[in-house]
Amino acid sequence: MTFNISSHWMNKLKSYKLLLSLLLCMILWLINLSLGSVSIPVDHLLQRLLGIPFPSDSWEIIVMEYRLPKSLTAILAGIGLTISGLQMQTFFRNPLAGPYVLGISSGAGLGVALLSMAGSAFGWQFLAGSGNYWSAIIAASLGSIAVLVMMGLAAWKVRDSMTLLIVGLMFGSAASSLITLLAYFSAAEELKMFTIWSMGNLGNTGWEKLGLLSGAVLLGLVPALASVKAYNAMLLGENYAVSMGINFQRLRWSMIVSTGILTGSITAFCGPIAFIGIAVPHLTRLLFKTNNHTLLFPAAALLGILVLLVCDSISQLPGMATSLPINAVTTAFGAPLIIWLIMRRNFSEEF
Amino acid sequence: MDGKDKMTAANFPAIHAEELELGYRSAQGLNLLASGVSFDLHRGELTCLMGPNGVGKSTLLKAILHQHPPLKGSIFLENEEVRQLSDRERARKVAVVLTEKIPAGAMTVHELVALGRVPHTGWWGQLSPQDRSVVKRVMDITRITQLAGKKLAALSDGQRQTALIARALAQDSPILILDEPTAHLDLTNRFEIMYLLRDLAKKAGKAILVVTHDLEVAMETADTLWLMEAGKALQQGSPEDLMIQGGIQSLLPGDKWQIDPESGKIRLKDPPNLPQIEGPIHLSHWIRNVFRKNPELTRPERIVVRDQPFGIRLFFADRTEELNGIAEMIRFLQQ
Repeated sequence: MTFNISSHWMNKLKSYKLLLSLLLCMILWLINLSLGSVSIPVDHLLQRLLGIPFPSDSWEIIVMEYRLPKSLTAILAGIGLTISGLQMQTFFRNPLAGPYVLGISSGAGLGVALLSMAGSAFGWQFLAGSGNYWSAIIAASLGSIAVLVMMGLAAWKVRDSMTLLIVGLMFGSAASSLITLLAYFSAAEELKMFTIWSMGNLGNTGWEKLGLLSGAVLLGLVPALASVKAYNAMLLGENYAVSMGINFQRLRWSMIVSTGILTGSITAFCGPIAFIGIAVPHLTRLLFKTNNHTLLFPAAALLGILVLLVCDSISQLPGMATSLPINAVTTAFGAPLIIWLIMRRNFSEEF
Repeated sequence: MDGKDKMTAANFPAIHAEELELGYRSAQGLNLLASGVSFDLHRGELTCLMGPNGVGKSTLLKAILHQHPPLKGSIFLENEEVRQLSDRERARKVAVVLTEKIPAGAMTVHELVALGRVPHTGWWGQLSPQDRSVVKRVMDITRITQLAGKKLAALSDGQRQTALIARALAQDSPILILDEPTAHLDLTNRFEIMYLLRDLAKKAGKAILVVTHDLEVAMETADTLWLMEAGKALQQGSPEDLMIQGGIQSLLPGDKWQIDPESGKIRLKDPPNLPQIEGPIHLSHWIRNVFRKNPELTRPERIVVRDQPFGIRLFFADRTEELNGIAEMIRFLQQ
C-alpha cells in the first residue's frame, strides 16, 4: 500500500516535471526571440502574438524573417537530435552512442565537402554555385542518404548490433579521411566555407526550408514513437526483448530509418550540431530518474528544445554584432554541465 | 493460471518435441550437437535439464524459443508448431529467465515486473487495470511487494533472481523456462528459488523447465529430470529412478568421479584399499572423506571412531594410536 501511494506521487511528480519543462520551453522561446543584437522586449512580443503590431517595422522583419524561423529550427533540431540519440543509446545499450554513430554526419559532411572543395581539388566547375545554400542542403542530403543506404546494406548483412555500431564508426572515419584529403587540396576560401558549415548554423533556414525540415522531422519521429514499447523491452537486452515478442529486426530497421531521417535532415539544414544528441538523453535520465521510454521520449524532446534554445540564446547575446557558431556554444556550455551531472552520482549504474 | 485453461490444455503437453536435430550450420560445415531429441514437457511439473557444458542445452532452449530453429524436427507449444506462431503469440506461451546480466540498474523492481506485460499491452505499452492487477499478484506470489520501489542495482543476487522470475510470471504464459536460475546464489537462496518454482508448477499449473548444474537441488525439487549427453538420446525420468538405475552417472564421464547413491552428491571415487572404518555412520562418513581427499596418507589397518567424547583410534599392525581430532589424525598420518 505504501508503495502504491509513493508510486502515485512519483508519477504525479514526473508529470509536473514534464509540465515545468514545457513551461520553461515557452519562456525560453520568448527570451530567445527577444535577445540579440537588437533587443526586443518580451511584452511587445506577447502583444504581437495577440495581433498588435510592433512599434517598429524593423522589429517585424527581424522577428518574422530571422529570429522566428531560427528558433523554430532550434526547436526541431533539439527534438530530432535528442530523440535520435536516445534511440541509439537504448538500442546499442551504449552510453556513448549518439545520433552520429552511424556515420550520417560524416556522410553529409562529405557531400558538402565535395560541393565546396572539390572544385579546386579536381578542377570541377559544375559545382561552382556552392554559395547557394540550397545546393549545400542537397549535397548534405545526398551524402547522408548514401551513408544510410550503405548502413542499410550492412544491417541486412550482419545481425549483430555491436558489428553494426563498428561498421557505422568505420563509415564515419572513411568519410572523414576523404574530407581531409579534399581539404588538403582545396583553396583557403573554400576550406573556410566548409569549416563554417561544420560549425553548425541554425539561422540559415527560411520559411520555405523550415517547412521541409519540419516535414522530415515529423516523418522521422513516426517510427520512433511506434517503437516506444520495444525500446522499453530493449532495456533488458536483445534476448529478453525477443522473448517478450519484440520483433528485433523490425526495431532495428525502424531505428535506422528514424535516426537516418532525423539526423540526416537536421544535418543537411543546420550542419552537424554537436553534443545535444549524446548529452541530452543522459540529462533527461538524470533529471527524470527513469528509464521508461513513454516518459523519456517526451521529456528528452522538451529538454532537447530547452538546451538548444539556451545555447542559441547565448550565441546571439546582446552587445555582439554577429552570433557565435552554435557548436562552440553547445560544447563549451554543455560539456561542463554534463560532466558535473555525471560526477554527482553513480552514472553507469543509472544508465 | 485459472482452472479452465488447465482443463482444456490437459490433453496435450505444454511442449512437445519430435526428433530434433540441434546444431549450427557454418561455413566450415555442420556442427551437430544433438540428434534424435524428443520430449514432452507437462503442466504442473518442474523439470530440470542437466548435462555437461557444450552438450546443447542452450541450443535446445533457443530452439524452443525459435531464436535458433532446430536443423530438423519440430517443436509444438500447446499443440501449435512454434515456427507458425507470431512473436507475440509465442511470448504469450513461453516466458524466460536468462543467465545474462540486466544492463539497466536504474530500473525499479516494479518497472521490471511490469515489463512482463509487454506481449499483452498496446503499442504505447500503457498498463490496463488488468495488467496492473497481474503485476501486483505476481509480486505477491513471489513476495517481493516490499521491494517494488527499489532499484535493481540495489538488490541482492537472490532478490534480483526472484524479481526476474516475477517478470517472467507477469508474462502470464503457461510455460516458464529458466536458464541456471540458481547460479551465483547461496545455499538457502538456491533452495528458496527452486521451491518457489515448484510451488508455481503445482499451484499455478505451469510447465517449468530449469536448466541447472546443481544436482543436489535438482534431486531435491524436480519432478522430472532430463539428462543430455553428447551424441545420445535425451534420458528422461524421475530423479529418484535415474539415481537408483544409475542414469545420473552419465553426467560424469570418465571414472574419476562418482555419485554417492545415498546423498546424491558428486564425490571422488573411493580409492582402493580404504582402511576399515568402524563407528557411528555420521562420523565414519567424514573419516572416509579425509582419505578420498588425501590419497597420499599412510593407511592404518583399522580405524575406530566414537562419539561423546569424540575420539579416533588407529590400529596398525604393530601398535595403536589414540587421537582427539581429525586434523590431528591427518598430521599424524602424513609423517
